[in-house]
Amino acid sequence: MTVGKDVSALFPDVVNCMQTDNLELKKLVYLYLMNYAKSQPDMAIMAVNTFVKDCEDPNPLIRALAVRTMGCIRVDKITEYLCEPLRKCLKDEDPYVRKTAAVCVAKLHDINAQLVEDQGFLDTLKDLISDSNPMVVANAVAALSEIAESHPNSNLLDLNPQTINKLLTALNECTEWGQIFILDCLANYTPRDDRESQSICERVTPRLSHANSAVVLSAVKVLMKFMEMLPKDLDYYGTLLKKLAPPLVTLLSAEPELQYVALRNINLIVQRRPEIMKHEMKVFFVKYNDPIYVKLEKLDIMIRLASQANIAQVLAELKEYATEVDVDFVRKAVRAIGRCAIKVEQSAERCVSTLLDLIQTKVNYVVQEAIVVIKDIFRKYPNKYESVIATLCENLDSLDEPEARAAMIWIVGEYAERIDNADELLESFLEGFHDESTQVQLQLLTAIVKLFLKKPTETQELVQQVLSLATQDSDNPDLRDRGYIYWRLLSTDPVAAKEVVLAEKPLISEETDLIEPTLLEELICHIGTLASVYHKPPSAFVEGSRGVQHKRLPGSAGSGESADSPETTSTAGVSDAPPAVIPSQGDLLGDLLNLDLTPTTAGPPPPAPSSGMQLGGMDLLGGGLDSLLGGDLGGTPAIGAGFGAAPAAVPASFSAPVSGGLDDLFDLGGGVGMPMGAYSPPKSVWLQAMKAKGLEISGTFARRAGVIQMEMTLTNKAMSVMTDFAIQFNRNSFGLSPAGPLQVLTPLSPNQSIEVALPLNNSGPVMKMDPLNNLQVAVKNNIDVFYFSCQYPISMLFVEDGKMERQIFLATWKDIPNDNESQFQIKDCHLSSDAASNKLQGSNIFTIAKRTVDGQDMLYQSMKLSNGIWVLAELRIQAGNPNYTVSLKCRAAEVSQCVFQSYEAVLKN
Amino acid sequence: MIRQFFILSSKGDPLLFKDFRGEAGDDVVNVFYRRVTALPGDQPPVVMALRDLHFLHVRQAGLYWVATTTADASPFTVIEFLNRLAALVKDYCGGLSEKSVQMNFALIYELLDEVLDYGYIQTTSSDMLRNFLQSEAVSSRPFSLFDLSNVGLFGADTQQSKVAPSSAAARPIQAGREQGGRSEIFVDVVERMSVVVGSNGVLMKADVEGEIRVKCFMPSCSEIRIGLNEELSIGKSQLRGYGAAVRVDRCSFHQGVRLDEFDSHRILRLCPSQGEQTVMQYQLTDDLPTAPPFRLFPTVERDGTGRLILFLKLRCDLPPKSSAVNVCASVPVPKGAVSLSQELSSPDQSAELQLQNRAVAWQIPRLAGGTQLSALFKLDVPGLSSASMLEVGPVGLSFELPKFTATGLQIRFLRLSPVQPAPSQRWVRYVTHSDSYSIRI
Repeated sequence: MTVGKDVSALFPDVVNCMQTDNLELKKLVYLYLMNYAKSQPDMAIMAVNTFVKDCEDPNPLIRALAVRTMGCIRVDKITEYLCEPLRKCLKDEDPYVRKTAAVCVAKLHDINAQLVEDQGFLDTLKDLISDSNPMVVANAVAALSEIAESHPNSNLLDLNPQTINKLLTALNECTEWGQIFILDCLANYTPRDDRESQSICERVTPRLSHANSAVVLSAVKVLMKFMEMLPKDLDYYGTLLKKLAPPLVTLLSAEPELQYVALRNINLIVQRRPEIMKHEMKVFFVKYNDPIYVKLEKLDIMIRLASQANIAQVLAELKEYATEVDVDFVRKAVRAIGRCAIKVEQSAERCVSTLLDLIQTKVNYVVQEAIVVIKDIFRKYPNKYESVIATLCENLDSLDEPEARAAMIWIVGEYAERIDNADELLESFLEGFHDESTQVQLQLLTAIVKLFLKKPTETQELVQQVLSLATQDSDNPDLRDRGYIYWRLLSTDPVAAKEVVLAEKPLISEETDLIEPTLLEELICHIGTLASVYHKPPSAFVEGSRGVQHKRLPGSAGSGESADSPETTSTAGVSDAPPAVIPSQGDLLGDLLNLDLTPTTAGPPPPAPSSGMQLGGMDLLGGGLDSLLGGDLGGTPAIGAGFGAAPAAVPASFSAPVSGGLDDLFDLGGGVGMPMGAYSPPKSVWLQAMKAKGLEISGTFARRAGVIQMEMTLTNKAMSVMTDFAIQFNRNSFGLSPAGPLQVLTPLSPNQSIEVALPLNNSGPVMKMDPLNNLQVAVKNNIDVFYFSCQYPISMLFVEDGKMERQIFLATWKDIPNDNESQFQIKDCHLSSDAASNKLQGSNIFTIAKRTVDGQDMLYQSMKLSNGIWVLAELRIQAGNPNYTVSLKCRAAEVSQCVFQSYEAVLKN
Repeated sequence: MIRQFFILSSKGDPLLFKDFRGEAGDDVVNVFYRRVTALPGDQPPVVMALRDLHFLHVRQAGLYWVATTTADASPFTVIEFLNRLAALVKDYCGGLSEKSVQMNFALIYELLDEVLDYGYIQTTSSDMLRNFLQSEAVSSRPFSLFDLSNVGLFGADTQQSKVAPSSAAARPIQAGREQGGRSEIFVDVVERMSVVVGSNGVLMKADVEGEIRVKCFMPSCSEIRIGLNEELSIGKSQLRGYGAAVRVDRCSFHQGVRLDEFDSHRILRLCPSQGEQTVMQYQLTDDLPTAPPFRLFPTVERDGTGRLILFLKLRCDLPPKSSAVNVCASVPVPKGAVSLSQELSSPDQSAELQLQNRAVAWQIPRLAGGTQLSALFKLDVPGLSSASMLEVGPVGLSFELPKFTATGLQIRFLRLSPVQPAPSQRWVRYVTHSDSYSIRI
């Protein structure tokens, strides 16, 4: 039977033996039953009686055996007979029987889920979590976890502080395997606050010194997850970091298989928290008898840990590796030297000289790899190491791999002006043009065009030759297209060609091989599982029907709420937020009233009497408009020449009181898809007429040429004329205050509307509001004072010089703690990444870099708030997927939510 | 969790197959064998995915121990479990081989039943399992002259019988129950050394990984106390005793070990279960108490005729009483080396050129402490260039140091309680292996 022979014909005879008293024989009979019951369901019913009887046997071994076997007989018909015995066994006095019965519930659930729910076994199972025997607890947890997995929404494993406490108690007593079940279950729990998180961490930490590596890894998973909740300045946080390193190092002394799995996990941990392993560089040095897959993984981690402090050591090692026997490993080692050079700037020089040493060995594949990485080094540090070019050129003939040839050709083209015989070199490649791979052909084409642009006199013939080769004799569309483009460029406008072809290239950074932050977060939640070995989320390889939930790391205490519920918040855009009229009680109101009554306070200009106000208003309008006009025309280069109408519309909107039409025109233009111009939400009603004695105010905010405007429509729905308008703001998060008085020049007669644009500045007093972008306003007229609050899109506050340097961006991104990162989803947005980037730029969200990985565009963006706070963002756009992901990092994490809302509003309009 | 479990012989025949969820395809075993044998060398064999089924396996005693899973299970758990299971089977059957698995299939099924329920690991402790198992192990011990050599003339103890044969520990743990086998306990201190010596002779890296293993065949023994060196210190900060203390950086213990006396007297207390268990694991990094056991003085030259001359002096720095056995130095040589001529200092050594590894392997069966050997190799390498000289090295050494621990860890005493009525045998063994000992040239 066990070796695959079919002995099902003996079924009746075997069942007859079932009632034996010999335990050994009974076990064998049961084994037989498990194998063949499914193929003979009718016969299996014959066995039911014995099962029921065995479940009441005085010997617990037999009871457990019967329960265990029962669940393994996957015949629907007999399941209902099994409920009663199972119920009894779940309450058995012997823990061995109970623990077996607990697993049996999971078995039964797999066969007939409905039955299990109807019979109330799930509740019994939940009760078993509080069992006195740790083995039973562990099995109950395991069974519940599995059942819960198939019902993602059910609240089966109701984790609350009490159950967690029970689990933690059981953790100390049960077997190592039970500890794993419990730890994995704990990892799904999200503690309420950092105190609870710390106390769980404290109780889990002893598991780190367990001899079973699976226990250790599960404990690491729990700690890594809960650490997110701990404030970084806590002493305990530091202690915990220190405690994590030794167990991870210990894992590396296991068998190669476990080592490999451990290294894959450490690779994740190092990316998330490099500080844990930063002093343990030496353990990742490869041993000569490591299997190759372990070696490669170690190499990868070494690079990730490389820093200025240890670079000398790392380089010395890498140089050794580069002379080893294994070709694959040697190649990777050479690449690693290049990556070190790019990662640690101070070491670049040493890396280059190491690479030169390696080139001197003339070992073919070493030379080729070295040339490929030197190309990257040139990209990172242009014009710094060109002295090595001569050495590289010596090895031209030995290159036979396309990648190395392409790299070499790129170098020759890029530095054509410093290589005397560049034309000869390139010409020599040209001879076998059609035998080269596409990569080399493309590179050769570009290099020769570069050469031509740099030395036009001598190389005309060469460039014609290559263009005709590429356009006429080639079947490759890419090559042909590129050839034609160069040809047209060169023939129409050589100056433009020069600008295009010899344009300054963006610097490359070392971070290209990092795992995406969000994927990394998810993988960290899956430490110690298959996902961490494949470096893929479980949804990518576990069958879809089993509701797989994406796990996220819990946010730190501050930004927790915003990160946890991106779905709910994403729907509530700025414009949707109903403008709330402030209730007539409350402290804030008092503030407003005070402000109103003491007009000489520092920040906002006091509301002047109506007569004077008109005069002052005229002055302000005149002077302000002039200066704004001038500033505007010089200061908006983003508006291209092709959109001549747009700049005309911009200043026009300043005189909004009289030119609402033009304003509309501008809005119209924006709506049609003009990428420039800051997004401004449509006007919404802020103050309803019935609550303000007939005055209705609707309005919006806009940023026009660097000035924040509050644009309002005042409508008189009362029966009498309104005059003497004045406006006042309460203290708010960004210190917004009117830059001048409210420009209502004429009395507002009944049923008349008037458009007002109020320029704002941000020099007012600051007080944090909730929500952050809330603005409380008081408007006064001859009738009364009215209060309302509205929310401004935070994009109004993005200033024009919010474009960060790439390097600073990278540094800042890394510098801002991960706790400050929050992530949001933008749904149903159908823009390409370029269109999105243009649109965002209009609102002063600047794209700094863009790269594409696996069809996913990633835009790195920065913006600066008017109070000097920088916000960094990563926008991810998957082609064909209308849902974008935005990750925001900011030192003041509170703004993230508002910034996200602006993102959504800008992109969707 | 685990969906199926099976054991395959090295030829791919299924020896044992168990399906926990009743969903196995017929060809799982064949698919696995085809995949694992077709795997290229640089691919990690640890996890293999086939659609949504994931195979995890280990090789023990030439057999494939395979578990499959569909969910996002923990590979650590599965691999660790497979290793434990193999150890359990070894304990129960008295040895691991294709034959012993075949002969004891009923026992192994029984074992599996208790160890795994519906794919959930229940327990791997032999103490607990003992209560549940009914079958007796069928042991297949081949007749061996070694068994006879232990018996002296007229049954007298010979000198040899004081040393247990290496196969002594290979027996089923249950045998003792009825056959009244000797009650014995084996405590092994096994260390693995990895050392990197730079080309200038400076020690660049030295790690020792060690473990204390207890193999117990004493049904009546309730507690043993293992005393380690009293001056043993753990971690960098702690120092005990004077000066040259025995030190380890990290250690972890079996969960059954009670450490109440460890801090004060370095005594491990444990209730051993029958069979083998690793009681303590420890590591020492960088700071060996003694000099590394081997030093190599290489000279690499080209002679006028384009031959590569390698002159190696290998010095063993062990204490004079100890010695290293099965020493093998492997010297990578430039590719294209075609022939080797050698001059070795004694006839029991040997050397050969292994073309597929591009290395010269120099075998030394025994090397006593404080002695030095030398060897001269001349290699014909057509087209030898100065660059290919760089391909020589680093030298890898493999060796075994019996009765020696690199950390200096010793077992002070081994006490059993209650005091055993019948004469019991207690064996303590020390050995240090090379894990990765490389000397750069």
